[in-house]
Amino acid sequence: MNNSVNNPAPKARRERWSIVVVLTLGSILIFVPFYWMITMAFKTPDEAYRWPPTLLPETWTLENFKGLFNTIPFLRMFWNSFWTSFLIASLNILTGAPAAYAFARLRFPGKSTWFGTHLLSMIVPWQITIIPVFLLIRAFGWYDSYMALIVPSIANGFSVFMLYQFFRSLPKSLEESVLIDGGSWFTALRHIALPTSSGALAAAWLLAFLGNWQSFLWPLIVLQSEEKMVLPVGLLYLQNQFSVNVPVLMAGATLSVLPTIVAYIFLQRYLTDAAITSGVKG
Amino acid sequence: MTASTATKTPDKHRSKGSSLRREEAMWGLALILPSTLGILVFAILPILGSFGISFTDWGGLSLPNWTGLENYKQALGDSKAIESIERTLIFTVISVPLGLVVAIVLASLIQNLKLEKVKTFFRTLYYLPMVTIGVATALLFKVLFTAQGPINLPLNLLGIQGPAWLDSPDTVLTAIAIYSVWQGAGSSIILFMAALANVPKELYEAAQIDGAQPLRLFWHITLPMISPTIFLVLILSLIGSLQVFEAVLVMTKGGPGDSSMTIAMYIYKTGFNYFKMGYATALAWLLSLALVVLIVLQWRLQKSWVHYE
Repeated sequence: MNNSVNNPAPKARRERWSIVVVLTLGSILIFVPFYWMITMAFKTPDEAYRWPPTLLPETWTLENFKGLFNTIPFLRMFWNSFWTSFLIASLNILTGAPAAYAFARLRFPGKSTWFGTHLLSMIVPWQITIIPVFLLIRAFGWYDSYMALIVPSIANGFSVFMLYQFFRSLPKSLEESVLIDGGSWFTALRHIALPTSSGALAAAWLLAFLGNWQSFLWPLIVLQSEEKMVLPVGLLYLQNQFSVNVPVLMAGATLSVLPTIVAYIFLQRYLTDAAITSGVKG
Repeated sequence: MTASTATKTPDKHRSKGSSLRREEAMWGLALILPSTLGILVFAILPILGSFGISFTDWGGLSLPNWTGLENYKQALGDSKAIESIERTLIFTVISVPLGLVVAIVLASLIQNLKLEKVKTFFRTLYYLPMVTIGVATALLFKVLFTAQGPINLPLNLLGIQGPAWLDSPDTVLTAIAIYSVWQGAGSSIILFMAALANVPKELYEAAQIDGAQPLRLFWHITLPMISPTIFLVLILSLIGSLQVFEAVLVMTKGGPGDSSMTIAMYIYKTGFNYFKMGYATALAWLLSLALVVLIVLQWRLQKSWVHYE
């Protein structure tokens, strides 16, 4: 112990190296499942079940991807997931940004009550609302249509809360000058608040997109036709039809996981900041 | 409220002030209208509706009969429901502490690195599972957890036959908990890293001069300083694991037998497989009540260990 106090340098170096070693081991635990998934997707069925497993496919095959496309309309489902998530996230921001701004800045009757309903929608467990919303959808005649997917998700309490936190942190002085010059609150929102918050809007949009991209319980309940189905539920179909054909399953998992991973690597700054400001999972 | 504040303004500005106030109120209501309408129809109305449904025998098709507290009475005597709550608690006791410890340790290790780029690299990597479709990674882990799967590979190499994790009642909840931690640690790590970055460096420097060891620094400075974030992550992960559902549905559907039937899974099956909508919503209200009680309890307890500036 005395020694280490006298020679801090080697001790510090040893410490730093042990940190890197532990973190690398942790990274391997994150990475190995993905590696296994991707290599499995390219293995022949024969090789996939061999023991001990091969590190890389001996013969790379695309048969599993063919099997995937023959079993479920994968590209169609991918596209369904993409455009519905894109539309819902955009609608969330379109309705959410003005509301968040009003809650953060303006004074109007019933403000805390209306804000409270947004918070409540955020924290109420899905088990409570899912059956009544399902009944609403059926009453509107929207079962097995995209309306069922999109309309209940137009307003997103989570986006409103996140943007509310952001707008509150903006300085008021610029908007006040607009108001003194006779501009309306809408002008202040459109020309001052929105342009300065493009980063926060992008982050809120990304989180909303990701939330819809991953959601599967609601589409599982309200959609039925295969050609309307979204990707997460499609993967579940794949499992039910192919519970033994692991390589085809892994081909499907690979193709659905890789695009968001690539996009995330480019966009990670936005998402990470968003995850911190919101304090809730992305 | 706006009217009463408006009348208090000095007479000179009175008319102008109150018309501005009125304009502000109109803009405010207009801006929140689309969002609030959506929330009222698809969140508030369903909450009220489900409260009503929970007092009926509704099966989804025929007209409901009012049965009063019958569903709630039935729930208290429903041994399947009680067992599923016990399983959910076992799952929570495994996954929440594991997730917390893993996230705190990894976050503080990353925070101790010198190079910003290396920090970003590890943070990005640990967050990766969060951006993937949960169904896909759950399916992946279902395969990883088979007897001949790679998770057993180290055991098998030592000559020990690893279990088929998801096929045995003894290991299935642990396996799902491991998957949940793998999938969810990233978001807690990010929150802890943000908290750790805000701990003032001077605190450590002062203690190091006094000759304190790293572990003691961690225990006496770091942990108290990040305790508000520990509290936040604890609440979030408690809520998450008491409602664990998606992983269960994809990996086991509650099996083998009922050994991974959690309360959320049980509610789902009751409502959508057996179409006992009235009873399922009553169970959902009981679950929510339990969550509220737990959060309030944690809120009370936090005063004894959470350190606020």
